[in-house]
Amino acid sequence: MGILTIVTFLPLIGVALILLLNQGENESEDKIRWLALGTSAVTFVVSLIVLAKFKTGVGGLQMVEQADWIPSWGIQYYLGIDGLSILMILLTAFISLVSIAASWTAIGHQIKQYYIFMLLMEIGMMGVFLAQDLFLFYVFWEFTLIPMYFLIGIWGGKERIYASIKFFLYTMAGSLLMLLAILYMGIKGGTFALPDLIAGRAAFADVQNILFLGFAIAFAIKVPIFPFHSWLPDAHTQAPTAGSIVLAGVLLKMGTYGFIRFNLPLFPEASVHYAPAIAVLAIIGIIYGALVSLPQKDVKKLVAYSSVSHLGFVMLGIFSLNEAGIQGAILQGVNHGLSTGALFFLVGVLYEQRHTRLFSEYGGVWKAMPVFSVLALIVTLSSMGLPGLNGFVGEFTILLGSMGAASLGPNPWIYTAFATTGVILAAVYLLWMFQRVFMGPLDNPKNKALRDINTRELTIMLAFLLFIFWIGIAPSGYFALMDSSVAELVSNIGTAVVALP
Amino acid sequence: MRVITYFFMNAFNLAPLILIFPLIGVLANGLVGRRFVETDRKTGEVWSGWFGSLMAISSFVIAALLFFSLRSQEFHAEVIYLFDWFNVPSAGFRIPWALQVDTLSVTMMLVVTGVGSLIHIYAIGYMHGDPDFSRFFTYLNLFLFFMLILVTGSSYLMLFVGWEGVGLCSYLLIGFWFDRVDETGHPMNATAGRKAFVANRVGDLAMILAMTLTFWTFGSLEFNTVFQSAVELFEKGHMVEFGLFSASLGSVLTAVTALFLMGAAGKSAQIPLYVWLPDAMAGPTPVSALIHAATMVTSGIYLIVRSNVLFEIVRASGSLILGVISAPDLVAYTGAATALLAGMIAFTQFDIKKVLAYSTVSQLGFMIAAAGMGAYVAAMFHLITHAFFKALLFLSAGSVIHGMEHGHHEIAHGDHHDDGFDPQDMRMMGGLRHKMPTTYVVYMIGALALSGIVPLAGFWSKDELLSHGSDNNFAVYLMLALAAFFTAFYMGRQLKMVFFGEPRHAAAEHAHESAPLMTRPLIVLAALAALGGFLNLPYFTEGMAAANQHKPGGIFLGLEGWLEHSIQSFELTAEGVLHMPHTSVVMSRSVAGLSTLLALAALAWAFYGVYGKKPKTADERDPLQSTPIWWFAILPLNTFYMKGVIPLFNRLAHWLGYALDWDFWHDFVHNRLIRDPFVGFANFAADILDTQGVDGLVNGAGKTVRRLASVIRLSQTGYARNYALSILLGAVALVAYFLLMVN
Amino acid sequence: MPDVTIDWYVALSIILFAIGALGVLLRRNAIIIFMSVEMMLNSANLLFVAFSRHLGDLNGQVLVFFVITVAAAEVAVGLALIVTIFRTKQSINIDEINLLKG
Repeated sequence: MGILTIVTFLPLIGVALILLLNQGENESEDKIRWLALGTSAVTFVVSLIVLAKFKTGVGGLQMVEQADWIPSWGIQYYLGIDGLSILMILLTAFISLVSIAASWTAIGHQIKQYYIFMLLMEIGMMGVFLAQDLFLFYVFWEFTLIPMYFLIGIWGGKERIYASIKFFLYTMAGSLLMLLAILYMGIKGGTFALPDLIAGRAAFADVQNILFLGFAIAFAIKVPIFPFHSWLPDAHTQAPTAGSIVLAGVLLKMGTYGFIRFNLPLFPEASVHYAPAIAVLAIIGIIYGALVSLPQKDVKKLVAYSSVSHLGFVMLGIFSLNEAGIQGAILQGVNHGLSTGALFFLVGVLYEQRHTRLFSEYGGVWKAMPVFSVLALIVTLSSMGLPGLNGFVGEFTILLGSMGAASLGPNPWIYTAFATTGVILAAVYLLWMFQRVFMGPLDNPKNKALRDINTRELTIMLAFLLFIFWIGIAPSGYFALMDSSVAELVSNIGTAVVALP
Repeated sequence: MRVITYFFMNAFNLAPLILIFPLIGVLANGLVGRRFVETDRKTGEVWSGWFGSLMAISSFVIAALLFFSLRSQEFHAEVIYLFDWFNVPSAGFRIPWALQVDTLSVTMMLVVTGVGSLIHIYAIGYMHGDPDFSRFFTYLNLFLFFMLILVTGSSYLMLFVGWEGVGLCSYLLIGFWFDRVDETGHPMNATAGRKAFVANRVGDLAMILAMTLTFWTFGSLEFNTVFQSAVELFEKGHMVEFGLFSASLGSVLTAVTALFLMGAAGKSAQIPLYVWLPDAMAGPTPVSALIHAATMVTSGIYLIVRSNVLFEIVRASGSLILGVISAPDLVAYTGAATALLAGMIAFTQFDIKKVLAYSTVSQLGFMIAAAGMGAYVAAMFHLITHAFFKALLFLSAGSVIHGMEHGHHEIAHGDHHDDGFDPQDMRMMGGLRHKMPTTYVVYMIGALALSGIVPLAGFWSKDELLSHGSDNNFAVYLMLALAAFFTAFYMGRQLKMVFFGEPRHAAAEHAHESAPLMTRPLIVLAALAALGGFLNLPYFTEGMAAANQHKPGGIFLGLEGWLEHSIQSFELTAEGVLHMPHTSVVMSRSVAGLSTLLALAALAWAFYGVYGKKPKTADERDPLQSTPIWWFAILPLNTFYMKGVIPLFNRLAHWLGYALDWDFWHDFVHNRLIRDPFVGFANFAADILDTQGVDGLVNGAGKTVRRLASVIRLSQTGYARNYALSILLGAVALVAYFLLMVN
Repeated sequence: MPDVTIDWYVALSIILFAIGALGVLLRRNAIIIFMSVEMMLNSANLLFVAFSRHLGDLNGQVLVFFVITVAAAEVAVGLALIVTIFRTKQSINIDEINLLKG
């Protein structure tokens, strides 16, 4: 059994062990928590082993595992990792670990089921990033919906049922088009293995614009690209804290990852063809998301809309179709997972004490929670893209990519200029958020009793901050991980598209 | 002995320490400072404050060592590589963390750490008793850290780190008392901080665009590489091509430099983005002195001076923005217009710090104008002297405010009736020269230096600048000269209102001198403000200039000779590069004489003319209040932003967020158009089609069976006897059947 | 003294069977019903033995042993059921045991 299978299915052991425990007694509730935490911690360690075994400077797939699954249809169990997915694997392992630790006191009922769903979620996400067979990918892709559906639907807020059903149906509807495209290619090509399909992409080059859209809509809903974002504020506001962290941290990245992994190499001409259109949508998303964030009354909703803005940057980077843009996009995906995940966690800490997320209930929290506030400030700045912190590194690399993007025609600076206004708008809504919660007089008597951050929460935050600073100050190691794969991808697109428009 | 020589000859390896010291200060004060101060106020404050100050002083020492090291190797610039920051090999994008030590950056380091150290020490006295004492010093050290990154960075991207970092510190420090609210209950300090940050971010937008464009043009963002390849490209006359983009070098650099101007306008408070600086006075006074007068706001000038090669290429290439004006000229006019406008607004202010704030905007305009005219050294010179006298003025103003507050405290005693007293309102002051003699003297020196009275620092720097103007661009010269006249006028007005006449409020009568910890740094700064002009004394005769042209390296030739090693001393023409190995200070005696006369006239007019006998009481109208100049207090951009742009922006955001995204897209389209018809059909199918159609059939079958069963069940009596009888009858029937069959 | 022919046995057996059958049908006491059932079984046994003798075939007698064994088992189970019913109902009147009434 290869290491990739282990890293994917390891959480199953945790699930089995948790199933054996009785629910209800305090003692075994703690046991469930520790078991879930332990499992995800071990998975994180295994993902680090994957990192240690990963060879930089090699473009293709590594640690490949291949076995027949349904031979008559050419469907395989096919896992592999390369520079496009290594960071996503690490992010998944990290976010899962952190979100399980973040649920310690926040989840009070049906603990057993909760942690089982969290671990199942991890399996699904790992599988999405590792599968190299389209059919296997689709199975994992749909599988992730189920635990998240229950996480929102059972442990969510007041309108959790509406939100969870909307989340499920919306993403499901998009995926069906992708399934059609997958089946078409798989049946025509006689195989579902991605590398084989890429090699034989000439077979369906004539319909690639349609196939591209089939994939693109599924991924666009997941990202979400404007105007497919309407499920996001509902899902984020209703999900429990850990659900929001996973949703923002990893699930949205499945969409951007999908574009890089499938759309670009399978349909290079179509990618170039649609690049300006998607870039325009991405830029609308950047500006629109930032503007809509501003008047929100609910902290979580603000952060949710800010995701639309941030993910707009990622999409712009991808469809710059050059090395800087794509690498910036992958890294910005990680950055968004870290900063937005941390923001959701911090909101969760406040929510656990005050049971409200309305701005009007807060103000002057800095006076009551100095340590917490400083941490929140750093995370806010990271989300704003302050240089020296992680957000800037991704954002700048993306803007660098889009400024030099041949895919955006002879005047890429127009796109870049509009996208860069996101920098101002981000400052507007994030500082407004920070002021309404943390600054001003501490005049709500309920806030005076707030306790500052405790050791568990501080540990989680320090883990976030470690990466926020690390990526901000010395990101070259992160770029080294993906550089070769991205360079190969870009040169593939370049050779496929000999003459750009 | 050798160790010491080593330090003086080659301190470049110590350069990283200049960043590490403030960082230690941040960590120390940030992590344990609060606990320290809370345990024991007195010693805690001493430790916390002095530790922060010590870190600033240590950085100053390192800066001084670097100065000597540069001298010892003939001013040759060094780049000290630390470690990689960005490295995207396939995109060829590599930016290290590296320190550029050359004469320009060392000049800035000395100013920043020198003035910074004095202000740190002053702040120990000023912030005494504040509950967030250690937080203040954490921010100050953090500011120093970022400011030093800004001036030492070896690439535009590193400069940008500092650029944004100081913006952050400015935000934090303006909002230092973030829980204070105005009459309407709005936390105005926090809002002022936010305003500053957002205005700065507008400039940052331009910076990011300029940097991305620079990278694709030159393949790097490091100063040395960029400037070198810029000159090469210019000489060869190549087009700039990347992706499908193609343009001439001149037009690309016009865009880059215009964007730099926009960045500088944000950071250095120029038209149209200066509006944040007056509001920034909400911060503690040492902050106003350090960040909003001496250092941070000058980084825009540093940026332009640093990029002088690019500006000169644009000038030589003759590219115009929209065919109207060249980028350097736009810089010059922006600076001059700002100098003039802010100088006029300063007339109308009653807040002692706001006068100084508009004065700062105006003086920054001078520097920007100088940089735009190509007088880079003059701009730097004015930057340095301005740092001295404006820091001095702000700190003295802080001392005045401190004195007024104490005076108010003394008379208020117990009954805290707020009589609308504002310790910063000059109308409440008057006659303070007797109450605060030291402050009065140093304030006087600062004000005269700012007005440009010989031989104080401001005279030399401003008149060098004006001389450049009269040589290069007469329109700019006229605007600046007028602005200089205004400068002297509003400073005369301020001196009169604060220190002369009779006290107009009880607080002013009871004011007294501040503690020595605050006045001593003032005296040092006053000395610098008085003597700072000697840094760059002009050679008054051409013979003297010629005689000093070829001084051996290692002799400090004044600022001009010193900065010559960083600021490219060549001139570009359309034909190519013309090297100009030496420069001398331009100083026209007629210009200097005229402007000094004007300044003296303005001072006298304010002092004896307009404000000769007025105001007598705190609520008397200002004599200028009925003149059109007063309009400038209300008209300019701030009102336009606050009443026009921002409400419009908010309304747009609100409309998008609630009407478009929520009511229309979320509720109407998704719920009404998609969900409701679907649910409606589902309900129809479930309630009508299914219950009455399909279900009717199935239920009908069930009902029939049930009816039948109710008849048959009667046979089941439950009595064992009956069952036994039926068995018996059955058996009899079977036997009978078999018997009959057999027969 | 007339010969005791096979007819006598058959007649006796019929009488016994009839008594048993009527007992089962008419009595309410479970024990008595039970005894009546035993009587019916034994009437059959009598017939088996009689015909075995008459025909000179031992199979009939072998069968009787089976019947006795089954009857013994039946007694055990039946009595146990009656005891349990008595415990729950405090009665062994079978007319009160009519839960199966439709």
